[in-house]
Amino acid sequence: MGALETITQKIQDKAKSLLESGQAEVVIGYRKGSTPLVAAPYFARTPSDCENLIWSSFAKLNLANYLPNRTGKVALVAKGCDARSAVGQVTENQIPRDNLYLIGVPCSGLVDPAKVAAKEGRPIQKATETDETITVSGVGFEVEIKKAEVLRRNCEVCSHRSPTMADELTGPEAPAAKPDDFADIKALLAKSPSERLDYFQDLIKDCLRCYACRNACPLCYCPVCFVDETRPQWLGKSTDPMDTMTFHLLRALHCAGRCTACGACETACPVNIKVREFNRVLDKAVQENWSYEPGLTWEQKPPLTVYQPNDPADFIK
Amino acid sequence: MASKNVVGAVLVAGGGVAGMQAALDLANAGYYVYMVEKSLAIGGRMAQLDKTFPTNDCSMCIISPKLVEVGRHINVELLTLTDILSIDGEEGDFTVTVRKNPRYIDMSKCIACGECTKKCPRKLNNEYNENLDTRKAIYVQYAQAVPLKYGIDAKECLYLTKGKCGTCQKVCPPKAINYDDKPEEVTFHVGSVVLAPGFTPFKPSVFDTLRYNDVKDVITALEFERYLGATGPTMGHVVRPSDHKDPKKLAFLQCVGSREVNRASNGYCSSVCCMYAIKEALIAKEHSGGDLDVSIFYMDIRTFGKDFEKYFEKAKAAGIKFVRSRVHSILPETGGGVKINYVTDGGLSTVEFFDVAVLSHGLVITGETQELAGQLKLATDQYNFAKTSTFNPVALSRPGFYACGVFTGPKDIPSSVMEASAAAAAATSKLTPARGTLAKVITVPPAMDITGDPPRVGVFICHCGINIASVVDVPKVVEFAKSLPFVEYASNTMFACSQDSQEKLVSLIKEYRLNRIVVSACSPRTHEPLFQETLAAAGLNKYLYEMANIRNHDSWVHAGHPEEATQKAMDMTEMAVAKAALLTPLKENVIDVEPTALVIGGGVAGLNTALTLSQQGFKSVIVEKDSQAGGNANRIHTTIKGENVAEYISDLKTQVHNDPNITLVLSSQVDKVDGYVGNFITTLTTGQTVKHGVTIIATGAKEHKPTEYLYGENRRVVTQLELDELLKADDQNVAKANTFVFVQCVGSREKERMYCSKVCCSHTVHVAVELKKKKPESRIFVLYRDIRTYAQKEDVYKEARDLGVIFIRYDLDRKPEFTQDNKQLRVKVLDPVSGRHLIIEPDYAVLAAAIVSGRETDLGMKFKVPLDEDGWFFEAHQKLRPVDFATDGMFMAGLAHYPKPMDEVVAQAQAAAARAVTVLTQPKMTVGGIVAEIDQNRCSGCGVCKAVCPYSAIDLDDKGKAVVNEAMCKGCGNCASSCRSDAPSLRGFTNAGLFAQIETAL
Amino acid sequence: MSEFEPKVVAFFCNWCTYGAADLAGVSRLDYPPNFRVVRLPCTGRLNPKFIMEAFKRGADGVWVSGCHPGDCHYIAGNYYARRKFVLLHTLLETIGVDPNRLRFSWISSAEANKFQAMARDVVESVRACGPNLTFRKAPLALDLPEVA
Repeated sequence: MGALETITQKIQDKAKSLLESGQAEVVIGYRKGSTPLVAAPYFARTPSDCENLIWSSFAKLNLANYLPNRTGKVALVAKGCDARSAVGQVTENQIPRDNLYLIGVPCSGLVDPAKVAAKEGRPIQKATETDETITVSGVGFEVEIKKAEVLRRNCEVCSHRSPTMADELTGPEAPAAKPDDFADIKALLAKSPSERLDYFQDLIKDCLRCYACRNACPLCYCPVCFVDETRPQWLGKSTDPMDTMTFHLLRALHCAGRCTACGACETACPVNIKVREFNRVLDKAVQENWSYEPGLTWEQKPPLTVYQPNDPADFIK
Repeated sequence: MASKNVVGAVLVAGGGVAGMQAALDLANAGYYVYMVEKSLAIGGRMAQLDKTFPTNDCSMCIISPKLVEVGRHINVELLTLTDILSIDGEEGDFTVTVRKNPRYIDMSKCIACGECTKKCPRKLNNEYNENLDTRKAIYVQYAQAVPLKYGIDAKECLYLTKGKCGTCQKVCPPKAINYDDKPEEVTFHVGSVVLAPGFTPFKPSVFDTLRYNDVKDVITALEFERYLGATGPTMGHVVRPSDHKDPKKLAFLQCVGSREVNRASNGYCSSVCCMYAIKEALIAKEHSGGDLDVSIFYMDIRTFGKDFEKYFEKAKAAGIKFVRSRVHSILPETGGGVKINYVTDGGLSTVEFFDVAVLSHGLVITGETQELAGQLKLATDQYNFAKTSTFNPVALSRPGFYACGVFTGPKDIPSSVMEASAAAAAATSKLTPARGTLAKVITVPPAMDITGDPPRVGVFICHCGINIASVVDVPKVVEFAKSLPFVEYASNTMFACSQDSQEKLVSLIKEYRLNRIVVSACSPRTHEPLFQETLAAAGLNKYLYEMANIRNHDSWVHAGHPEEATQKAMDMTEMAVAKAALLTPLKENVIDVEPTALVIGGGVAGLNTALTLSQQGFKSVIVEKDSQAGGNANRIHTTIKGENVAEYISDLKTQVHNDPNITLVLSSQVDKVDGYVGNFITTLTTGQTVKHGVTIIATGAKEHKPTEYLYGENRRVVTQLELDELLKADDQNVAKANTFVFVQCVGSREKERMYCSKVCCSHTVHVAVELKKKKPESRIFVLYRDIRTYAQKEDVYKEARDLGVIFIRYDLDRKPEFTQDNKQLRVKVLDPVSGRHLIIEPDYAVLAAAIVSGRETDLGMKFKVPLDEDGWFFEAHQKLRPVDFATDGMFMAGLAHYPKPMDEVVAQAQAAAARAVTVLTQPKMTVGGIVAEIDQNRCSGCGVCKAVCPYSAIDLDDKGKAVVNEAMCKGCGNCASSCRSDAPSLRGFTNAGLFAQIETAL
Repeated sequence: MSEFEPKVVAFFCNWCTYGAADLAGVSRLDYPPNFRVVRLPCTGRLNPKFIMEAFKRGADGVWVSGCHPGDCHYIAGNYYARRKFVLLHTLLETIGVDPNRLRFSWISSAEANKFQAMARDVVESVRACGPNLTFRKAPLALDLPEVA
């Protein structure tokens, strides 16, 4: 049995025992999706539901997004980034620790459908996977692709693939990926300000302001979002590029020091904008200035809620 | 006394930081205060400082809110330029006669525009800048002075001396100059007197070898402070005085005029010079970009206060050199700079060049203060400091007279502030029947209900004489204002702040039914309260007010650009109108105050706090975890002044026992805490529930158990407190002993405890003297690192040396070595003078063990108050609020704050009581105004606002939503800017209001 | 107008930098009239959204100034603010907003001369950047007069 099947089996077993013992009223995990390269969210409420739970490298959603405002005991199938999001939500009082059980999945990185599509250039009707490869097929073709070649950007550079905070781990810790060295951002900084502005303005030129990125984000649980404010109206309702830019900048600021690089936002974007580019600028700043990574302990205090008298800030004159 | 009528007013003499604190505590406790100040303005020496140690806070920034508070307090009558002529009568009812000297300016008219100064032809030495630059004959003492009113130097004014000139009268826009002003004698009654006359810096002229008189590059530390100051003669640029070049090498000479009885006759230590020298050295290095070479020549470094030792370490790490040597002479160098002759620690005679020599001069009581003390028949010591006792540290020798600040001995700002609050408590201990009888209360008509009314904005554009109108086209701004949305009325006014303008404002509000007021004039920092009072008088909620600063931020700084300045005034007025239209009336709520204090800890601090509160008529509950009260003092034999501590403690306990206002709960601790200022409910481990309005933490500290020097292994090795207990018990072995070795800094000033325990040196020299007096033939050795007998305690150090006590210095890397041989103790120490090792075989080795905090983290969490890294409770502000916590209604006293000798403990206890009284004395407390509020519909309960609130004013309720406690919120708005969903809003500075300002700014 | 006159929105805390500006007035220290001040109780009150709003509305530059670290009237407001500034500064700089358009400073209420020097420097730095044509809403959308 490959690692995928082992994990799937363990998830099912654990979910069943949690539901049977009443330790959880619902287990939030993944089931097989109805379209290729997608695993869908699944809420298992009875022991018999559990056989539908799977693990797959198509499990791109961050299920922690379902935790805020949830009452009752819940178990969450969580890869590294999702578990860190859940830990963050606990520290931000969005779910009581006692109500949460983390079924941790050591993750080896998820497949980016856009990359697969770009590689094939043909409509894909079916996708299957083994631990190392995926096989996609369509009308008149079947191709095997190494997963390593089509991982999502954020999965290529993941520093916490195994959810060490989980209540139980469903497999041995995954081999670590190289952490994000932000090389592309550093390269960008070598360019002139106007080139950089061009780059970022171009990056979001297709943005529809549909807010799918926001909705997919487990950190975006505010009862009222600044984009919907009217008095004062922080964001115009027009498609003025500056309003769009403001949305992306403020969204990134709101996620700073909280974002776990799960990539749900980018996955959700219908026009394939690399929206995480803004977040990464701040991930880098948070790490460099305050040596902070979110969601690694239950006691962690988000970096904007604390300070050190000698915090670096050389740009302030 | 109780049978007689007492007067509910107090005289505070001296407007420095001590006097101001005393005045505010008195006025806020319901007494009327006459504050007499000799000079044009209050502020004292602190107003002259650039920065304050050990936090390097900007001195002016922290003192100016206090200046304004004193200046505006309805129950503080400020008598500037005033001399005390006589004080007759007795405690409870004194008759005070003062002379108000002429200012030659009508204070009610002067708008402090400075036109007079600009035109005055007389240039004179500027005392504020230590005569390093000039001022005019008509002047303000300093830019932020309170009262901000000009005055004429009568001795120098050409008109007043020669009858010529008169220019200022001609140019003064509001016609405030009155050359016919005359001195006036005024008599008033007070119940008691607080003297806070301060000090003058020692004049180093008597030391001819230091060449202060004739060498330009030899300056005093206060002169150097002014060079560092942004408002100083070189605007903060450090220069070599002789040629104004950048200095490369700087020397500080410590103890100039202190610890010196030959020429200066000042045997005492001035207590603050080591710290200010380190501060000035650090700041100078900062100003010069770090490559400045600084040496500090010293005898003992005395960094004994809270966080001082760390400051000293920081200075060493920054490369400041500390040279243990008393400099004997300075010689000028041709081409600038000086040569300093000194003998090194190793005995080597050395000459070194420096660009500037800064003399760290001491603190001296002025001749005028001596005269006043003589006239009032107040006992003073040989140095002219007021005589006080350890157990009554702010009471002077005559009943009814109290003192604070340097008058009772040289001290720093926080100690002065502590004493000031203590003096406020002590000075009113007999006046409680008269509390509130003379204090004025402001009454305002009920505010009109403007709910649902559309904004009707009234705009007033001030000419400020010619200050604004000579640059800004005021009529154009008025016309523009009339065109703005919601503006119902706009006009210009010659002086918006004048009495008649204020009256007109009231009638216009009524006539035009104005419900928002915008004044385009000067700074809201100085004038907003005045206009707000007028609004209130007109029946308009005072928060429906906005100001545009078209003078300080416009006409005064853009005089050469009238068109742009006019445009800017229009924009600023538009911004103010836009914000004003969105203002809503802010309510101020009233909460009840439970007139009881909870005092945690029943040591000297706790007992004194409770007794002081009782004198003020308030109940308290003392919780003591031990089975008896008294704390560490139960173990102490005598004080440095020779007072018997056992008798004192037993007397304190009897007083507490007999006091119906005090409940002492022994063997108990705090279990659970609920509530906030005015309304705490605390459950004790013994089960009682206490309702209290304030809390005083006086949990003390304990003596460190040494882990070195054979402590616990050899019976001859004891701690300082253990020796005291033996002395107390008249122990025969101690009486028979002939040889004593005292080891200082056992566990203090080392890596794990980087602080000085403050009391050990003084106690050691005191005990050494006592032992030596009892048995002159005994041999006593004190092994020390720096002797820190600060203030007048230096005399006892000298006495010990005179009696033959031998002091041997050791370094941290060469600690004394203790060995034992068949119970015989042997101490080996390197004598740095001879370079040889000494072997002593003492009968007793006494370890000055560190004082360690109780690290009451749990208690701190329960009351939401912080501790510092050494476990001391952390005050609201190290300089100006030394007994307050940032959380309202929470105070501290005694060793819980930091180690200190008993006189300072008693003073801090009285101070904590005084601060507590300012809360307890109001049966109802007004809260609200500019505070935050939470829109719970927007709240996700994430807790960011709670985490960033510096005042612990935000909590999550049982639904997990944030709530603001208005009684604790100070209106900083940190919550409002930290929330992602804008649930908190800062009243008066709402998002909508600020957004409107941004919108109209562009 | 022959030369471009930059428009700068300034956010000052009441206790330190606003005080320094008052003192600069008292001392008659002239500086260019190009900025408009929004007074805040504390730099801790400054929401990054305000800065975005100023740029969106066409500000050529933004200047934020408060108490030196350790001097905050509200104990620690500027310490928290400083962390927000770090993020905002990094973000705007990275996405290509000319750093000369956005200035942060600490100026105490006694530092009138520093205030004057900084005011001049801010205006000159922004002037050197030229009009803000790229990091703002389209002027027509705001119904603003034409920029230079």
